[in-house]
Amino acid sequence: MKPSDNYKLTEEGLKYLKHGLPEENLVRLLKKPMPVSAASKRIENFHIALSWAKKNGWVRLEHGKLILMKKPGKLEIKDALEKLHKGKDISQNELRILLSRNLVQKERLALKKAMALAGKEIPNLTPELIKTGMWRKVRLRPYDVTVPGEKIHPGKRQPYNRFLLQVRQKLVELGFKEMSGPIIETEFWNFDALYQAQDHPSRDWAQTYTLKHPKQGSLPGKKIVSQVKAAHENGWKTGSTGWGYKWDPTKASNLMPRAHGTACSARQLATGVEIPGKYFAIKRCFRPDVIDATHGVEFNQCEGIIIGESMTFNEMLGMLKLFAVEIAGAEKVKFFPDYYPFTEPSAQLSARHPEMGWIEFAGAGIFRPELTEPLGVKQPVLAWGLGIDRLAMFKLGIKDIREIFSHNLDWLRKQKVTV
Amino acid sequence: MPTIEANYNDLLSLVGKHIPLDVLQEEGILYAKGEIEEIEGEMLKIDIKDTNRPDLWSAEGIARELQGRYGMLTGMPRYDVKPSDLVVKVDKKLRNIRPLTVCAVVKGLNITEDVLSQMIQLQEKVSITFGRDRREVAIGAYDYHKITPPITFTSVKPDGIRFVPLEFETEMTPAEILRKHPKGMEYAHLLKGLSEYPIFIDAAGEVLSMPPIINSDYTGKVTSATRDLFIECSGFDFRFIMPALNVLVAALADRGGVIESVKVVYPDGVKYTPDMRPKKTRINIAYANKMSGLKLSPKRMCELLEQARYDAKVKGKNINLLYPAYRQDIMHQRDVIEDIVISYGYNKIEPIAPKLATIGSVSKIEKFADSVAEAMVGLGFQGVLSYILTNKNNLFKRMNLAEQGVVEISNIVSSNWCVFRNWLLPSLLQFLSKNKHREYPQPIFEIGDAVVLDKNKETKTRDLRKLAAAVSGNRIGYEHIASVLDALLSALGLEYELVKTEHESFIPGRTAEIRINSKPVGTVGEVHPLVLNNWGLEKPVAAFELNLEKIDF
Repeated sequence: MKPSDNYKLTEEGLKYLKHGLPEENLVRLLKKPMPVSAASKRIENFHIALSWAKKNGWVRLEHGKLILMKKPGKLEIKDALEKLHKGKDISQNELRILLSRNLVQKERLALKKAMALAGKEIPNLTPELIKTGMWRKVRLRPYDVTVPGEKIHPGKRQPYNRFLLQVRQKLVELGFKEMSGPIIETEFWNFDALYQAQDHPSRDWAQTYTLKHPKQGSLPGKKIVSQVKAAHENGWKTGSTGWGYKWDPTKASNLMPRAHGTACSARQLATGVEIPGKYFAIKRCFRPDVIDATHGVEFNQCEGIIIGESMTFNEMLGMLKLFAVEIAGAEKVKFFPDYYPFTEPSAQLSARHPEMGWIEFAGAGIFRPELTEPLGVKQPVLAWGLGIDRLAMFKLGIKDIREIFSHNLDWLRKQKVTV
Repeated sequence: MPTIEANYNDLLSLVGKHIPLDVLQEEGILYAKGEIEEIEGEMLKIDIKDTNRPDLWSAEGIARELQGRYGMLTGMPRYDVKPSDLVVKVDKKLRNIRPLTVCAVVKGLNITEDVLSQMIQLQEKVSITFGRDRREVAIGAYDYHKITPPITFTSVKPDGIRFVPLEFETEMTPAEILRKHPKGMEYAHLLKGLSEYPIFIDAAGEVLSMPPIINSDYTGKVTSATRDLFIECSGFDFRFIMPALNVLVAALADRGGVIESVKVVYPDGVKYTPDMRPKKTRINIAYANKMSGLKLSPKRMCELLEQARYDAKVKGKNINLLYPAYRQDIMHQRDVIEDIVISYGYNKIEPIAPKLATIGSVSKIEKFADSVAEAMVGLGFQGVLSYILTNKNNLFKRMNLAEQGVVEISNIVSSNWCVFRNWLLPSLLQFLSKNKHREYPQPIFEIGDAVVLDKNKETKTRDLRKLAAAVSGNRIGYEHIASVLDALLSALGLEYELVKTEHESFIPGRTAEIRINSKPVGTVGEVHPLVLNNWGLEKPVAAFELNLEKIDF
C-alpha cells in the first residue's frame, strides 16, 4: 500500500506546494548577505525557513547577517509533497519528515468512504463531508419535514409543585416571608393557641386526625401556657369573657397531624414577629375527610399573617383584593361576611376569574385579641388564607382534586411547563 | 357551616317587606352572614357561615336581621316570658348520665307547614352543629296537652320501661331502641357504657322521650293540630343548653307563640327557664373605629347597631348595649364591631391595600429544594408528588425491611393511609408499580417530607425534607443511578464519597452509603429483586435517597 492511499496534504502542505517551502524562498532571497531583521520581514514562517536552511547547510549566520553557503540542488521535500499530492509513491523517510513538519496527515477511512459517495444521495451529513467540502459533491436526502418528530420525554417538574412555586414567588414579591412548622403538632399550637375552645366541633375526632403513636407532646413555656389557659377560661386581660370552661393542659399536649396552616402562624406569633411584618406558609395539612373529587387524602393550605401598628378592616379587604388580582387574575371581587373561630371580624372574598367565573378565593379576618395577646402580640394581626387548589385545578385542567397527586406517568409527561 | 332551607315567601312574610330575590341574594342575605347556594322554586338553600350563631339558622332568625337592616324593626327584639305552673323535677341519679335540662312552654301557635319544617330544621341544626351532634344538646318538643304534669327527668335501666318511639307502632325497651330504631343505632354511642338511660316521664307514667335518642310517638309528635308546646333541652353544660333553648323559643315567639316559663327543680335548687332577659355589654367608640377603619360618628354607629338588633346608647367614649338572650357568641367588643361592619355592608367599604414596607423571602430549605429540582429536571427526571400518609406494608414489608417505629394515626379513614412515611423510596416504587404499561425508561424523582420519631422534640417527631430518585428500565443498573447521583452532587458543588453498605431493600454488593464531610446523608443502590417482586415490578430499578437538610450548607 502506498502512503498516498492513507495520507494527504495538510493546509500548510498545500500552501508550500503552491508558494514554495519557506527555506526554499529564503535561499532564493539571499542573492547577497542580508541582515536577519530584513529577511524576517520578507519571508513568511521565517523561523521555519531559517531552521531548515541551516540544517541543510545552505545558509549561515554571521554578525547578524545571513550568508548563502550553497544553492540547494533538488528540493526532495517539495518533490515528495508533489508526489503524494498526485497519488504517487514516496519513501518512508520522506513521509516521516513530512509528518514531522505537519505537511501531511493521515486520511480517515470515513472520509475515503465519504469521497466514494460523491454524486450520490445520502442521509447524513458527516464531519468529514463538512470539513473537506465534500458536501458539495453529494446530495442530502430531503425528508418529509411535515412529519412531527419522534416523541421523547424530557425531565419536568411535578406540575402542581410548579404551581405552588409560582404562588410562593408571587407572595415573596408581595413582601411575605415564609414561616415553618412541624407536620405533627400539639393540639396546643393547632387549636388552643388559636383560641379554639377544647370542646369546639372542629376539634372533634370526625374533623381531625388523632395519633396512636406518639400520643403526647410537650407544651411551650409556662408563661404562654398560663396566658392561653386564662384566655380560654375567662378572657385573661383581653377584655373578653373567654369561653367559660375549665381548660385542660393534657388535651392541649395531645399530638395530632397539622389540620391547618394557621398552626404555623400561631408559632410565628409566639416566637416573635417583625412589626410591620408579613408572613406566609404553604403547608401540607391532614384531615379525616371522606375522599372524593373535592377532598384528597391530604391537601395544601396557603395562608399567612400581616402585622401592623394600625391594621384595619378595610385594609384587610384591600389585601384580599390584591391577592385576588395578583394571584388569581381576578377582574372583579365581592366580599361576604364569614366566620372563623379565631378571627373577628372575618370576611370571605369571591373573585371573578375571566374564564372560571365567580370562585370563592380567599378568607381573612383579624385575629381575636384572645389569641394574639396571650402570645405576646399587642398589634392587630390580619390572618388570611387563599383557596389555591381550585385555581391549581383550573390551571392543570383537572376536575378531580385527587389528580393533583396523580401517579399516572403519561399524564405527568403530557403536562405543559407553561402553567 | 350549617346549610338551611327556607321558603322565600315565608321569609318575606316574616320580614314584613318585599325584598326582590336578586336583592336578597346580592345584599340582604349577607346581613345574616348567609349565602344563597341554590334556588328551587320558592325554596332557598342558604349557607349560614357562622357556626357560633345558632340564632341565624332559621327563617325566623334571618328575618330578624333583615327587619333590622331594612328598617322594619330596629333595636333589640324583646321576648316576654309569662310564668306557668309546669314543674320538671330532675333526678339526682342523672348526675353521671345527663344531668341538666332547661325547659319552656310556648302557647297559641298556628303550626303551618312552614312553621313545622322550620322548627324541625332548627332543632336538628342546633343539636347537630351547636350541640356537637346531640352530645351537648338534645332537644325535644312535645304536645303540651298530652302531658300530665309534673314531668320527671330521670333514668331507667336499659330494659326498665317500654314505650312506642317516634314513627314506630310497637312498644320497645330503651335497649331495643338502641339496637333497632334508626335513630337509636345512629346515636347509641352517646349512651355507651351507661347502666341507666335518661328519660322524661310524666305524672301518668307516659314517656315523653329518651334523650338524646328519640321522642315517644304519643307526646313527642308535633303536628299542624298542635297549638301549645312543651320544649326541653338536655345536656351537661348550661353554656350550651340555655342558648339552644332560647334560640328555639325566640323563633316560635316570632311565629306568634306566647312564651311561658317552667320551674325546673334540681336536687340542689330551682331554676326558672327560659331566661330571656337581655344581656349587656359595651364597646369603645374609638376602638371600634380603629378596628373597622370606618371613622363613624357615635350617632351613625348607634344606628348601625340598632339595625343589627342591639339597643345602643352613647355613654361618654363608649356605647352601652343591650342584646337578646339567644345570642351567646359575644365575648369581646370585636364581636360587636363585626356586626357594625356587616350593618354598614362589606361591599360598601372601600378596600385599601395596606402599605407596609416588608421584604419577602422563601425559607432556606425551599430555596435549596428548588435548586435540587432544577438539577434533577436537567438530568431528565420527571417530578412526581405523593401523599405523606401511607401504610406499614408499603414502608417495610414490601421493602424487605423489619418494622420500625413510625407516626401512626388512630382514627384512620382508610388502612391505605394510616402512618406517616419515614422515607420516600416506597412512594416512588408505588408510582412505578402503577405505570408498568407506560413507556420505559422511567426516570422519576420526588422532593418531599418524611416524618421520624424524635423523643427530644416538643412534638416527639421531626420532619425530614428528602429527595428520592429512581430510574426503571430494561438495562438499568447501579451504574446509571451512580452517575445521576454524581451529576447531581457536582451540580450542587458538593464533594462526596460512597461507602459500601448493606441495606435489605437493595442488592448486596450494589448499594452504598452516601457521605458528605464523612457524615451519612443517604443511600444509593440497585433495588433488590425481592422488593421488585413485592411491588409487582418487572424491570430493574436503581435509586437513591438523600436527606436534603443534611446537605444544604
